Amino acid sequence: MEQLIEGISDWSEVWALLIPLAILCLKKKQPAFNKPVVIYLWTALAINVTIDVIWKLKTIIPRPFNTNNYLYNVHSIIRLLLFSSFFIKLNQQFLSKTKRIVPYIFLGLVLINFTLYQNFFDYGQLSSRLLSFEAVIMMFYCMQYYLFKITEDEEPGRKQPDFWVVTGLGIYYTVNFFIFLLYNELTIRLHNFAISLWSIHNFTYTVLCVFIAKGLYETNE
Amino acid sequence: MKQTNDDIRLLLFMGIAVMLSLFASILLIFIFFQRKKYQYQQKIQKLHQTQQNQLIEAAVRSEETERHRIAEELHDEVGAILSASKLHLQGVKINVIDKNNEPRYEKGQELLDMAIKQVRGISHNLHSSILKEFGLNEAIRHFTEKIANNDLIFITTDLDDSYTTQTNENDISIYRMVQELMNNILKHARPQKIHITSVYNQDALNISIFHNGKGLSHAQYEELKFNKQGLGLKAIQTRIILLKGEVSFNYKPEGYYINISIPRATTI
Repeated sequence: MEQLIEGISDWSEVWALLIPLAILCLKKKQPAFNKPVVIYLWTALAINVTIDVIWKLKTIIPRPFNTNNYLYNVHSIIRLLLFSSFFIKLNQQFLSKTKRIVPYIFLGLVLINFTLYQNFFDYGQLSSRLLSFEAVIMMFYCMQYYLFKITEDEEPGRKQPDFWVVTGLGIYYTVNFFIFLLYNELTIRLHNFAISLWSIHNFTYTVLCVFIAKGLYETNE
Repeated sequence: MKQTNDDIRLLLFMGIAVMLSLFASILLIFIFFQRKKYQYQQKIQKLHQTQQNQLIEAAVRSEETERHRIAEELHDEVGAILSASKLHLQGVKINVIDKNNEPRYEKGQELLDMAIKQVRGISHNLHSSILKEFGLNEAIRHFTEKIANNDLIFITTDLDDSYTTQTNENDISIYRMVQELMNNILKHARPQKIHITSVYNQDALNISIFHNGKGLSHAQYEELKFNKQGLGLKAIQTRIILLKGEVSFNYKPEGYYINISIPRATTI
C-alpha cells in the first residue's frame, strides 16, 4: 500500500498533466492566449516522463547520464517562456512593455548565471537560483494580472478561463518559492528531508494542473 | 549544526505559510472587488434597462395618443364635412333637362359614400372604440370579421373569455401586435386559413396565431426584427419589450404558428 502511494506520488508530475490534456481532447478549440499553455502541457509531459524514467532507472543508466537535475532547469526555462507568452497574449493593457521585456531579462540572467556561477548540467543538484528567480517573475505576472482585473471594465457573467490558469500558477509558485530557494541548501544538509519535501511540490503541481484543466474547460470557444 | 538545520526548516515553513497567506489575502481581496464590481455593473444594467423601457413606453404611448388624435380628427372633422357634403348633394334636384348629368350625380354620391365609409374605417383602425368599450377579445373578433373574406381567407377565433382587461394601455399594445401580425400574414404569407386562439392562465396570457401560408421562421424574425424595412416587426418587438413578453415563430407540418406570451404581472 505504502509502495503504491509512493508510486502515485513519484509519478504525479506525469499523471497530473494528463488531467488538462484529457480536457483538451474534449475542448480542442482553445482561444489564442491558451496556445502557449497547450504547448507547455505537451512539452512538460515529455520532460516529466524523461525525468521520472531517469529517476526510476538511475541504477541501470551509467553515471554521467543517470541524473535528471538539468531537466528541471530545462523545464523551468521552458515554463517561464511559455507562461510569459500566455500573459502577453492575454493582451491586458497594463505594464505591457515590462511584460514583454521580462522574458529577455530572465534569459540574460540565466546566461550570466550558467556562464559564470553555476553548471547547467550539474550532476548533483538542480539550480535553486534559476527556479526561485522563475517563481519571482511568475508571481509578478500573477499579481499584475489581478491588479489589472480589478480595474478592468468587463461584461458581467462572462467566463474567465484565464483566471483559473493564473490562480493555479499563483498557488504553485507561492508555495514552492521557498522550497526552490532553499532546495540546494537542503539537499546538502538534510538530504532525506529535501526529497520528502518534493512531494509538497508534486502536490501543488497537481493543483496547478487541475486549475489549468478548469481553465481549458471554461473556454468560450 | 543541528540548530542551523532547524533554523532552515523553520525558515522554510514560515516562508511557505507567509507566502500562502499573502496570496490567499490577495485572492480574497480580488474576489471581493470582482463581486462589488459585478453588483455595480448589474445595478447599472438594471437602470439602463429601466430607462430603455421608459423610453419605449413613452414612444408607444405617444404613438397611441397621436393615432387617437388623428382618428378623432378624421371622424369628427373630415367625416362631418363629408356627411354635410352628402346632405348638400342630396338637396340638389335633377330635372328632365339635366338628364345627361344624372349618371355623374349618382357617381358623385357613390364616391362620397365610399369616402365616408373609408374615413370611418381608417378612423376605427387607428383607434378601436370596441377595444375600449368591449375589451380585447371582442376587438380581435371584430377585427378578424372585418378582414375575413370567406371566399379567399377563412379566419376563425377561439379566445379565452376568462381574460378581463385590467390595464387598457397594455390591451392596446396586445391588440396592435395582433393587428400587425395579421396584416403581415395577409400581405406576405397569403394563407387560406387563419386561426387565433388565446389561453389565459395563472402565469400568462398566451395568444397563438396559426396560418397555412408561407410564414416566417424564428431565425428569420430575429434577422428582420431590427431591419429598417421591416417596420412592423420592429413595432412588435418594441411592444413585446414593453410588456416583458415573448414572441416566437414556429413551423409545424400543418402550418406556421406565432405564439405571443404576456406575463400575468404585466396584464394586471
